[in-house]
Amino acid sequence: MAIAVERRPQVVARRRNRRRAQRGVAHLLTYLGLLVALVFFLGPFFWIVTTSLKGNEDFFTFPPVWIPPDPSLAHYAALFTRSSGARYFTNSLVISSLSMFAALVVSLPTAYAIARWRFGGGLLSTVLLVLRMLPAIALIIPIYIMYKMLGLTNSYLGLVLVYTVLYVPFAVWLLVGFLREFPMEIEEAAMIDGCSRLRALIQVVVPIIAPGMAVVALFAFIATWNEFLFAVVLTGIETKTMMVLVTSFTSGGTDMFYGEASASVVLGVLPAFAVAFMLQRYLVKGLALGGTKG
Amino acid sequence: MRLFALAVKRKRWEPWAFASPSLALIALVIIFPLAYSFWLSLNNFDLSVGAEYEFVGAKNYQEVLFRDPRFMGSVWNTAVIIAPSLVLELVLGLGLALLLSRVARGRPIITALLAIPAMVSPVMAAMAWRMMFGVKYGAINNLGLQLGLIDVYFDWFASTALALMSVVLVEVWHNTPFMMLVLLAGIQSIPQELYDAAKADGARPWQSFWSITLPLLKFTMVVGVMIRLIDLTKLFGLIFVLTYGGPGSSTETVAFTTYLAGFKDFRMSYAAALSYVIVGGVLVLTLLFMWIQRLREARAA
Repeated sequence: MAIAVERRPQVVARRRNRRRAQRGVAHLLTYLGLLVALVFFLGPFFWIVTTSLKGNEDFFTFPPVWIPPDPSLAHYAALFTRSSGARYFTNSLVISSLSMFAALVVSLPTAYAIARWRFGGGLLSTVLLVLRMLPAIALIIPIYIMYKMLGLTNSYLGLVLVYTVLYVPFAVWLLVGFLREFPMEIEEAAMIDGCSRLRALIQVVVPIIAPGMAVVALFAFIATWNEFLFAVVLTGIETKTMMVLVTSFTSGGTDMFYGEASASVVLGVLPAFAVAFMLQRYLVKGLALGGTKG
Repeated sequence: MRLFALAVKRKRWEPWAFASPSLALIALVIIFPLAYSFWLSLNNFDLSVGAEYEFVGAKNYQEVLFRDPRFMGSVWNTAVIIAPSLVLELVLGLGLALLLSRVARGRPIITALLAIPAMVSPVMAAMAWRMMFGVKYGAINNLGLQLGLIDVYFDWFASTALALMSVVLVEVWHNTPFMMLVLLAGIQSIPQELYDAAKADGARPWQSFWSITLPLLKFTMVVGVMIRLIDLTKLFGLIFVLTYGGPGSSTETVAFTTYLAGFKDFRMSYAAALSYVIVGGVLVLTLLFMWIQRLREARAA
């Protein structure tokens, strides 16, 4: 009886329509939810960019101006002339680039030793993970005292050294993964032709895993760019990074320096934006291993 | 000697040679400072008085653990920030991951856009929000006024409750995307056949959510929460910019209290002892995390 009813064509059609309508509503709700999320997660960026482009007169009006009628780069200019923004931006670039290269150069052979010879047998990998979890606050006190004695505070070298080493555990972890996926036969063939291990690594393996190394490098760059605790303690007038510059606007109430402060935030988050798009596929792994936390 | 010669012949030194640069650097910049810091914590080394070491044994640790209300307060504050942050990040992250998993077109681009906050430094996130919380020119007060939700300019950092709430809000904004990415990866690794079979058996969507998605996502959720938990115990930059521990010391986290002890009071030994107590806590969490990971691998195998 029930089966007979179901087979009646109008009923079937009505059901199909209802199901289709339900699916349509579900679809709409999905996109609506994501739209709300996008507004919440990207809204602050939108606001900070428009604020940085406002003219000074736009700050004092009510109702407030949400989108500046005639955007100007005056705050960026002021940031670069009055607050030495250019110098601190360059500092960040130099320190992050140097740390990124140094971390890669040091980590690659270690990762190779772990991947090919099972060096350290599991213990080393565990130790590296524990070091990765180590809170920076535990290192900053002894390193500060040691740097004071050695005269390494307020120098590129000091900060680059710390960042390089802090980044080694992460880089090794990721590189071991890439190297394990890479077929051993190719470098063995090179070695049979009379190549040394090191030369095989540099001339045969590196070109092939270059994309993987780029991933590690970009995460390293962002992590050092984002790092704050070591930067605020170990840098001086000449070596401040963008992160330290931004905090200089917090004293004396932020209402005072809206223009320059927002311009510095825009410059400070720029690399993160770029890298988020380049590394979509690796975001989970990078973030899970702490690849952006410094 | 023969063994050595054998090792050289078989090139047993090779892995050591490859690994030694990073091992040497780690010893120099992590292991040695940690050892030095431990010795420091057993002394009384106060830079505001002078650079004199005086061995005091476990006295600093006794003070940290039993006589320092400020540190106890910071442990409490850290817990009060962590608990709601973790819950919100998990719930919102799961919701977003589920929404994203249903999107057919444009998923990579939406995911990348939503992931951006997690890539930004805590300092920058806190600065953007601090300006949005700004009393007169901040976006939040002005939007509230325009929409008629509030009728005066509001100081969001004047009271403890509001300040803590603001910290949690920024933290949730900053790291929900990470939870979302982790859970999305977990959801996508669940075989579609399970859902098809459930559907064929007449299961409703929420039924397959309760009996397929949630159970299979359990470990992923635990791992995501553990990673966030370990990171949250180190909460520093966000506090530094957003509240600087205030009002009073009501939003001081353990890392921030340690920073103040070291670089405002210059009580280096005491700060070292504080940091070792934190390391102990983080170590316990890390070992727990690795145990969970191994459990998951064992179950997967």
